Amino acid sequence: MSIELNAVRRRSTPHGFAFEPIFEGLCFGAATMLLIALGGVLVALTIGGWPAFSKFGLDFITGVTWDPNPEHEVYGAAGPIVGTLLTSALALLMALPVAGGVAFFLVELCPTFLRRPIGTAVELLAGIPSIVYGMWGLFVFAPFFASHVETPLMSAAPAGSIWETVFSGIPNGSGILAASIILAIMILPFMAATLRELLSTVPAQVRESAYGLGATTGEVVMKVTLPYVQRGAIGAVMLGLGRALGETMAVTFIIGNSHGFPKGMFDSGSTIASTIANEFNEASGLQSSSLIALGLLLFVITFIVLALARLLLRNQVKA
Amino acid sequence: MPLSATHAIPDVSIAKIDASQVKLDVQNLDFFYGKNRALKSVSIPFEANAVTALIGPSGCGKSTLLRTLNRMYALYPGQRATGKIMLDGEDILRPGVNLSMLRAKIGMVFQKPTPFPMSIYDNVAFGVRLYETLNKTDMSERVEESLRRAALWEEVKDKLQTSGLGLSGGQQQRLCVARCIAVKPEILLLDEPTSALDPISSAKLEETVTQLKQDYTIVIVTHNLGQAARISKYTGFMYLGELVEFGQTAEMFTKPVTTRGSDYITGRFG
Repeated sequence: MSIELNAVRRRSTPHGFAFEPIFEGLCFGAATMLLIALGGVLVALTIGGWPAFSKFGLDFITGVTWDPNPEHEVYGAAGPIVGTLLTSALALLMALPVAGGVAFFLVELCPTFLRRPIGTAVELLAGIPSIVYGMWGLFVFAPFFASHVETPLMSAAPAGSIWETVFSGIPNGSGILAASIILAIMILPFMAATLRELLSTVPAQVRESAYGLGATTGEVVMKVTLPYVQRGAIGAVMLGLGRALGETMAVTFIIGNSHGFPKGMFDSGSTIASTIANEFNEASGLQSSSLIALGLLLFVITFIVLALARLLLRNQVKA
Repeated sequence: MPLSATHAIPDVSIAKIDASQVKLDVQNLDFFYGKNRALKSVSIPFEANAVTALIGPSGCGKSTLLRTLNRMYALYPGQRATGKIMLDGEDILRPGVNLSMLRAKIGMVFQKPTPFPMSIYDNVAFGVRLYETLNKTDMSERVEESLRRAALWEEVKDKLQTSGLGLSGGQQQRLCVARCIAVKPEILLLDEPTSALDPISSAKLEETVTQLKQDYTIVIVTHNLGQAARISKYTGFMYLGELVEFGQTAEMFTKPVTTRGSDYITGRFG
C-alpha cells in the first residue's frame, strides 16, 4: 500500500518543482527588462538634452522663439508644447462624446444583426496606419475644411469680437483645429472600442435592476452603467489622450509646421512630435540636443497625464 | 373503468382563485428564446396582497415566467412572449405598453444583490427621482420609510451617504428591496432573492417579505422549498416549461395532487 502511494506522489511532483524557479526567473526578468528600458530612455534623453537645458534654462520651456538659423540659434519650446496640449485636448473633447455614443449604441440599442459589422468597422478604423490618416487629412480633408469651414467662419466672425481672434489664421485647411479634428478621428475608434468593452462588463442584472425601476435607456446609461465603469472609462480616456499627445505622422501632415505660438484655431502651429519629425534629419549640435530635450518634455507630459489619471482613479476608490 | 377513474391522478392541477382577488392573471402564456419554447401555455393567477411562490428544478421556466411579468425580456432581441398577462384588466403583453411605466409598477429583486455604484441614500432615491420630484424632506422621509420596511434602517441610518457597495451581501439585498418599494410599486417580483445570502440574512429577508405582503402582490421564485412553505400563500410548481401544479401552499406541501409535484416536494427529483 505505502509503496503504491509513494509512487503516485513521486510521479506528480518533480515536473512542477523543476519548472517553478525557471518560470519565476523569466517573469522577473521580463519585468526588470521593462524597468531598465524605461530608465535607459530617461537617462539617454536627459543626457542628450542637457546642452539645450543648460544653455536656455527655463527659457527652453517658456520661450516662444524656435530659430534653428546657425547664426543665432534660439530654441524655446512653448509653441510646440502648447500645440501638443491644445490639439490633444481639442481632439479629446471632440472624440469623447462620439466614442461614448458609438459604445452606448453598440451595447444598449444596436439590433443584433448590426452589432458585429459595426463593431468590426470600429476595430478596422482603429487599425488604419496614421500616415493614411495624415494623407487623407492633407489631400482630402484640408481643401474641404478650408473652403467649407474656415473661410465662412472667418468671414462670419464679427470684427473686434473674440471670435475674430479664435478664428484667425490662414484659411488653407491646415492648422491647429484641422489637426485636432484628424486626431479626434484617429483616437475615436480606439476609445469607442475600449468603452464598448467596458460597458459590456456591467452585469446584466445591474442593468436590469435599473430598467426594473422604470428607467429609460438613457437614464440607465447615464446614471447606472456609466458610473459603474467610471474608473475604467477614465483610464480609456487617458490612454486615448496619451495616443493623441504622441501622435506624429498625421499631425505633421496637417498642422502647418510653423514654430512659435499659434494665434488662433486656424493658425498653423506645431506639436512636440511634429517638430522632432520635421527637423531631426538635418539637426546637429545644439539643435539636435534641443530636439532630444523636446522628447524628454513629451515623455514628462505623458507621464504627468498618466499620473493624473492614477490620481483620479484613487479618489474614485475613496468615494 | 369508472373505478380507476376515481383513483386517477391528474397530470396537471391548477386551482382556481376568486377572480375579484386576482391582481395579475397569466393566460396561455408561451415564451420563446429564439426558436426554443421555454414556457408552454402557462396559465396562473396571482392573488392580490399575497405571496405566490414558484418552485421547480433549474431550467423549468420559473425565472422566465417572472421576467415576462415585467417584460424584462423585451431588452433582448429574439425573446418573445405570446398569450395574455392581465394586470388590473389590461393586457401588458400588447404592443404599445409603456415599459418604463409598467416596470415602475412592478418591482423586481434579483438573485444577486445589485446595488448601484452610489450612496445608500441615492440607491433608494434613484427610482423615486425618475418619476417624482420631491423636496428634500419628503425624499428623506421616503428613503427612511423604504429602508425601515426593508428592515435595513437601523443598520444604515448613520451611514446613508456611504457607498451601497460597502454593505454586506444580505444588507445589499435588502437595500435592493428598499430601492424597489421606494417607487411604490404594486407588485414585487423576487427572483431567488436569498440564494446568495447566508441563513441569517435569508431569515431577515423572509421576515421583510412577510411584512410587505399586506401591501404588495408578491411573486417569489425560490429553490428553497422550506422558504416557499414558510412565506407563501400559493405555490406553483413548474417543470420543463409547464405549470404542473398550482394551489394553496399549505395543501400543496401536505398533499400534492400530481405525481410530479409530489415527487419534487418529497425530494425524489429536482
